[in-house]
Amino acid sequence: MSRIGLLVPSSNTTVEPEFYRALPASVTLHTARLYLTRIAPESILRMVEDMETQAKLLASADVDVIVLGATAPSFLKGLGYDRELIEKIEKASGKKATTTSTALVQAIRHTGAKRVVLGSAYDEKVNGIAKAFLEASGFEVVGVQGLSLVDNLVVGRLSPDTAYDLAVQVDRTEADAIVLSCTNWQTLQAIERIEDKTGKPVITTTQATIWAALRAIGHTQPVKGYGRLLRELGAAAKQTHTA
Amino acid sequence: MYGWRGRIGLLVPSINTTMETEFWRIAPEGVSVHSARIAGGRHGTPEELRSMENASKKAAEEVAMVEPDVVVYGCTSGSFFEGPDWNKKICDQLTAITKAPTVTTAGAMAESLLAGGHRKVDVVTPYVQLTNERLKQFLKTFGIDVVKLGTFDMLDMFDHAKIQPEEIYAKVKETTTDETEAVFVACTQLRALEVLDMLERDLGKPVYSAVQASAWQAYQAMGVDPHITNCGSLLRRLSEPGSKKAPALRRSA
Repeated sequence: MSRIGLLVPSSNTTVEPEFYRALPASVTLHTARLYLTRIAPESILRMVEDMETQAKLLASADVDVIVLGATAPSFLKGLGYDRELIEKIEKASGKKATTTSTALVQAIRHTGAKRVVLGSAYDEKVNGIAKAFLEASGFEVVGVQGLSLVDNLVVGRLSPDTAYDLAVQVDRTEADAIVLSCTNWQTLQAIERIEDKTGKPVITTTQATIWAALRAIGHTQPVKGYGRLLRELGAAAKQTHTA
Repeated sequence: MYGWRGRIGLLVPSINTTMETEFWRIAPEGVSVHSARIAGGRHGTPEELRSMENASKKAAEEVAMVEPDVVVYGCTSGSFFEGPDWNKKICDQLTAITKAPTVTTAGAMAESLLAGGHRKVDVVTPYVQLTNERLKQFLKTFGIDVVKLGTFDMLDMFDHAKIQPEEIYAKVKETTTDETEAVFVACTQLRALEVLDMLERDLGKPVYSAVQASAWQAYQAMGVDPHITNCGSLLRRLSEPGSKKAPALRRSA
């Protein structure tokens, strides 16, 4: 048995159910919440302050890894900020840690993709930060489209069809992979449909977080139903992308 | 959205590793579980148990953001330790914060036993002497007598989850007496859920657990029939025709 510790924004209604859908029976999930109402910079910074306290609470349940399951908060300050957050969590908890942004970059690299399109729930401002983060991480972003939402609760109410529709809309011929961003957006159940339709790997922030958490605890058995990334868990990376 | 039939806001002691797992295991399609952790330490001392009352308010503020249909304070000793009035105070505070009905495990323990008409019960716990005495006093105020109490006698609350289901099965079997009508397994860290059906069949009497009783009250409060058929008679009762249900309308979409 392994335990994953999850730090989730308080208003998130999606990431816990998506983890439970995908996790094998031998892995359990334990959650702590970070107070967050709006996907906006000032609200996100307050959330980070609470992070160390909550990481300690997860450590008291002796989890094997702690994941910050929030996308925007972990790339807010650009490249390298996710590393800073990981260090904060690891120092406070004594457990190894990762973040959604870290996982996202690792997952895209794992597929070998160089050019990506980005679909998100965000408004233009946060999309700009997301695009800059991906570019700084070495990817070419050839298309961006968001749903322009800042109220996290509203994002949680969107159906997986909105992910399918936006992904198909934002896709471009020259893109190697489709990235869908925001852990409160129900994307997990749309992944296989999008991959079937476009023939490209789809990487969503929640899926990448689950993938990174499972890798962190040494789980290498395939997880089926949620796209190539999880299905090929344990397989070697595609041609490595050099940033 | 996930949780379109009902969203459970689950407050667990930070060290707890059993309750989230068991709540998710029984959650049907359309019901989601959203956890927050109550700070409090792992030693279950009187000071730690009392401090959870205050710490639970912060956890409630965090979980309130998902607009839960019910909030569960998932700790037995943390809700019975200072008696029924203290338990009610916790309920009132958490409901004021979350705008949702509150279920506490101690309250669910008393209500599940009363609903079954049980006045004489045996109890199995992982607790030390003082905590066990407080549990008996709590049930006494509801007119329920604990005839025999079997305990694993461990102070460390994290370690309670290391007790295996087969050990719980054996402890219940060796504890129960002919005089009693039911057995209650206290503590939301004890992995009792998976042996309840077997125990009821082998003992010929109802056997309830802390996690199970909390879930029973939570589903009642949400007005959702979860159709859980393999976790004891108490949860199966939620599917009986005419079982008491709250209006099945959500407060929000």
